[in-house]
Amino acid sequence: MTSAWSYRPQLLHLGLFFAAYVLGCGFAQALAIVPGTGISIWPPSGLFIATLILAPKQSWPWWVLVGCLGELFGNALWFHSPLPAAVLIYAGNALEAMVGAWLVNRTLGRPVRLETLREVLVFVVLGAGAAPVVSATVGSATLAWFGIFSQTFLGAWPLWWIGDATGVLIVAPLALVVIQNWKRKAELSAARWIEACAVGLILLGVAALSLGGYLPFAYIIMPPLLWAAVRFEFKGAAVTLALLALITAIFTISGASQFAGNAENQRHNQIMLQLFLAISAFSALVVAAISRQHQLALLTLSQSVEALRDRERELSQIVNMVPVHIRRLTPEGEPTFFNKRLVDFFGFDLQQLNRPGTSQLAANIETLVHPDDAPSLLQAVRHAVATGEPYSMKYRMRRADGVYRWVDGRAEPLRDEGGKILQWYAISIDIDDEVRAQEALRDRERELSQLVDALPVHIWSWTPAGKLAYVNKRSLEDLGLSKANFEDTVRVAQKLVHPEDAPEVLRASANCLKTGDAFMMRYRRRWKDGNYRWIEARAQPLRDQDGAIVHWYQVSIDIDDQVQAEEALKSSKRQLEQMIDAMPFNILSFTASGKMTYTSKRYLEDVGSPTADIKDFDALARDVAHPDDFPTMFQRASDGFATGQPFVNRFRRRNKQGVYRWIEARAQPLRDADGTIVQWYIASIDIEDEMRAQAALRERERFLWQLVETLPAMIDCAAPNGEPVYRSQQLREFLGYELEELDGKPKSRLNGTLDAGVHPDDVAGVKEQYAHCLTTGEPYLRKHRLRRFDGEYIWVETRAAPMRKDDGTIVQWNVICLDIDGEVRMQEELRLAQERLARASQAASLAELSASIAHEVNQPLAAIVANSHACYRWLSAEPVNVARAKITTERVIRDANSAAEVVGRIRALFKQSVENRTSLSLSGVIAEACNLVAGEALRRRIRIDSDVEGRLPPIAIDRIQIQQVLVNVMRNGMEAMEAVAGEKSLTVRAHCVGSEVQTEIGDRGNGIEFPDQIFEPFFTTKENGMGMGLAICRSIVEAHGGRLWAEKNEPHGARFIFTLPIVGKAAP
Amino acid sequence: MTTDDHVVFIVDDDERIREALGELLETHGMRAIAFGSAGDYVDAEKPDLPACLILDVELPDINGLELQRQIAEGDRPPIVFITGHGDIPSSVRAIKHGAVDFLTKPFSDADLIGAVHTAIYEDRKKRSERAELSLLRQRYLELTPRERDVLPLVVSGLLNKQAASELGISEVTLQIHRRNVMQKMAAASLADLVRIAERLGIPITHSRRVGGN
Repeated sequence: MTSAWSYRPQLLHLGLFFAAYVLGCGFAQALAIVPGTGISIWPPSGLFIATLILAPKQSWPWWVLVGCLGELFGNALWFHSPLPAAVLIYAGNALEAMVGAWLVNRTLGRPVRLETLREVLVFVVLGAGAAPVVSATVGSATLAWFGIFSQTFLGAWPLWWIGDATGVLIVAPLALVVIQNWKRKAELSAARWIEACAVGLILLGVAALSLGGYLPFAYIIMPPLLWAAVRFEFKGAAVTLALLALITAIFTISGASQFAGNAENQRHNQIMLQLFLAISAFSALVVAAISRQHQLALLTLSQSVEALRDRERELSQIVNMVPVHIRRLTPEGEPTFFNKRLVDFFGFDLQQLNRPGTSQLAANIETLVHPDDAPSLLQAVRHAVATGEPYSMKYRMRRADGVYRWVDGRAEPLRDEGGKILQWYAISIDIDDEVRAQEALRDRERELSQLVDALPVHIWSWTPAGKLAYVNKRSLEDLGLSKANFEDTVRVAQKLVHPEDAPEVLRASANCLKTGDAFMMRYRRRWKDGNYRWIEARAQPLRDQDGAIVHWYQVSIDIDDQVQAEEALKSSKRQLEQMIDAMPFNILSFTASGKMTYTSKRYLEDVGSPTADIKDFDALARDVAHPDDFPTMFQRASDGFATGQPFVNRFRRRNKQGVYRWIEARAQPLRDADGTIVQWYIASIDIEDEMRAQAALRERERFLWQLVETLPAMIDCAAPNGEPVYRSQQLREFLGYELEELDGKPKSRLNGTLDAGVHPDDVAGVKEQYAHCLTTGEPYLRKHRLRRFDGEYIWVETRAAPMRKDDGTIVQWNVICLDIDGEVRMQEELRLAQERLARASQAASLAELSASIAHEVNQPLAAIVANSHACYRWLSAEPVNVARAKITTERVIRDANSAAEVVGRIRALFKQSVENRTSLSLSGVIAEACNLVAGEALRRRIRIDSDVEGRLPPIAIDRIQIQQVLVNVMRNGMEAMEAVAGEKSLTVRAHCVGSEVQTEIGDRGNGIEFPDQIFEPFFTTKENGMGMGLAICRSIVEAHGGRLWAEKNEPHGARFIFTLPIVGKAAP
Repeated sequence: MTTDDHVVFIVDDDERIREALGELLETHGMRAIAFGSAGDYVDAEKPDLPACLILDVELPDINGLELQRQIAEGDRPPIVFITGHGDIPSSVRAIKHGAVDFLTKPFSDADLIGAVHTAIYEDRKKRSERAELSLLRQRYLELTPRERDVLPLVVSGLLNKQAASELGISEVTLQIHRRNVMQKMAAASLADLVRIAERLGIPITHSRRVGGN
């Protein structure tokens, strides 16, 4: 079922089939000419068969089904048979169609075209003849069975059979045509269309006339029918038959036809009608098939003729176009055909060569072949013709332009089966170029041979085995030999080679023969006069395409003179090189482009051989020069090379041991006659030691210079006359100007410097001492102030000493100028500090002073005490710690010394120094001291009575110290009056007593309890006193050469008196 | 020889004094660390041990008395002053500010060592008190807020009933709190607890006498 379903035809086709089937039923009904039989022409059978023939077998059930529907539909409309009868009748019809289609398809195969007679006959016999038997039998039986129209089986069968057969004959072709050409376009020309129309019209006219009774019988229609079949073949037949059937039907129905008639002969008429249509159809179809067959045969024939013609043309083209001259000769040798190429070659045709009276062959050969070759060719041809043997010959033929060209001619006979010669075929090929090339080759060979003999070299050739194959004349002549004298390498070596060279030559040649390598050697060969001459022998193998050695060729050139010259040159060069190598410097040479050409042996020994990749100056320089020196050196060298100027380079070069040594390299170009540089020669000398010495010197100089420049002293060098020639940086910076700036002024350098620099107060002394030293040559030493660049005067100490030559003459004055400003100022500051201290102690109470002293002393004392305790404990410890005890004892000693130092310092504070004494009047000092204590006196409500002689002579005293004495004594006095009631006054008196100035300070206190002890150090009556004050005071006064003592004052109190000598005495 | 359970700091600008005192203290088995100035002493990392500070009055940067004043706050060691020349006002001032002794250079071995021992003993005592107080504070901090409410009431001597009504809680609850307080404060008895509270500075806020209200 599925397969049937998948083969379902298009619905449109099924629909059309259904419509056509129903239409066919209608048509059959209309043509039921014999009423009551129910049988007539049955078009659906044709439709059915045609459809099934064309449709695939698998789709048949569909068509059968649709046909059944159509038949039943038609039955319902027109036939009104009982349904079982209708179905049975349809079954018969379907069976008929299937049998017919099956038979036709089986016999003719697919697709069915009905184009040949056989096909038409098969179709007619099987489709229209055999198949309706089924339908007729089933249908007639059904009619008889059901008794429809009271038909008998035998009565109905023929009618039925003819009706169906006619239907098949008329409709099936039409259906086939319509279905097969359904979508094909008509390909008829206009003329054919006109003819078709004409045939149609004539057919219609004849049909109308014949069927209408105007013409005696119906078969008059046949001519136009056959015309259509002949001209339009199957399609025409089918269409015409369909038309005929229609016309016949129309006329029959209308009754105008001959086949319409009364009831008696209706049956007969019916049969006649059907026969008419069947015969017409049969005839038309057969004729159409024959016509078609004929047409096809014609077509095939014309195509064959055309193909043959093409082949012939091709062959003739081949014959004419092959690049060979072809001719055909009769068995007698007469030419009968020249191909086009030959004609073109000769420039004229065979006919033009015809000469009456002579043989065509002879004439041809005489005319067309080179006179030298003509007789032999003619003879060869005649011989061939006579014997029947093919010939082959090379000869010259004249071309159309008159040039003779070599050709290779051959001829072969064509024989029949009996061996009789039918024809000769001769060809000739143009081989002119080859022949000429061969000739040229021969010429060349001759020339070469001459050349080989003429060349002033020995040329030999050897077989691969080492046998001598050829010797040129020259060698034979030179060596005075004939070829027979030797035949292989061994013999040559024995006879011709210098005994010293022979073994090497033999070895080398044997090696070359074995390996196939080229041979090259210089050796001495014996000439015919018995002398040996140097030759250079070269041998080269000649190889074939596979690389196998065919021959060895050897050339030997006489190089004796050259060798001699080289020897001489070599010897001279060796001498030169020895000379160069003997020189204590290295030599290199380079081409103008910088390529290294020579290195002396000494260079190689010193520096080592350059590596393989170093081939030019650039690479060599980069390799051996010190990287630091390379840029300069290379720049200079490049400039030198570029300009062609000689140049000198000093740089460090790495030697063989990898150590860099200084060298001096001098480069000089060698020029040829044109001035072009041929070579650069570079000679280099080791200057390492020199450079080292120089460097050391420079270093030393630099060191000295730096020393001078950086010494923290200003240094000046002067000529013997004192003129400065050099000043160190420090001095220049100090002065703020350069030495040269002094030049060009009216003053000399020295005077200019002194005047501008030295403090105006000092300049005279400086100049004087300078002049003195310059004249005497004594060293100079002086402290003075020197003006700095910023205008400030700085204390300097200048020392100068002369530098003398061996003979004592002064070469130079070396002057050093030290900045001692700091020291001078420090001294000044020290002095000021002392003064300040003194001033401070002037104002300080003795108690404070003593407290300060106590602190200073107590510190070491405390340390001493602690250390002593510690020491004691270390010593008392168990076990005794001597080491620690020792340390502590050392500390005790140290601290005790320290304490002693403190005391010493205190003493020093009050130590007298003559330096600070100035000559002044005591009255001023006393006034100052009174002022100092005035404040305290006011607080203590003490009046100070001063009685100082107005004109005291000046005395040399230390003002501060004397002030200290005054203040201390006055304070003591004031403190003594602390507890005294009543008037408190302090009397100060000063006056000259002889050669002294005596000063008295009197108080109104309780007086002195221990007048002898109060001047002892550390004796004190005060709670906080240290007992130092009066002791110090006495020491001061005594230092000034005076005395200090105490007396009782009147009425009470104490009086302290000290004297100072007017003429200053030296301190004790 | 030296012990590590205490240390003596020496601040004196005089190298000799520092050396000598160090040596002396060493002979007495005491470890000494010396500084040249007050600044050095203040900046230095000092071991946390019972200590004594021997301080010179006259120092280069600041006066010894000034240093005493500056470090008065904080756990400073007791100070023994030494001076080159002592005056009465200075010594009075130093002693008033808690100095152990005021020695005038040169001083005797016995005076110094005696003063140092005294100072170290004081410091040791002070430190242990501090440690004890800190322990008490720690314990106090462990009390719950309610227990901290209870503690002053209990040490004030209020009866449980009174205290409970003061806090608005039942007597039983108060008793539980009280027991917890005793336990946490490691008080052996109520008297002990009262003493602890006093040391912690917990005020006695309530009087047991009802009439006090």
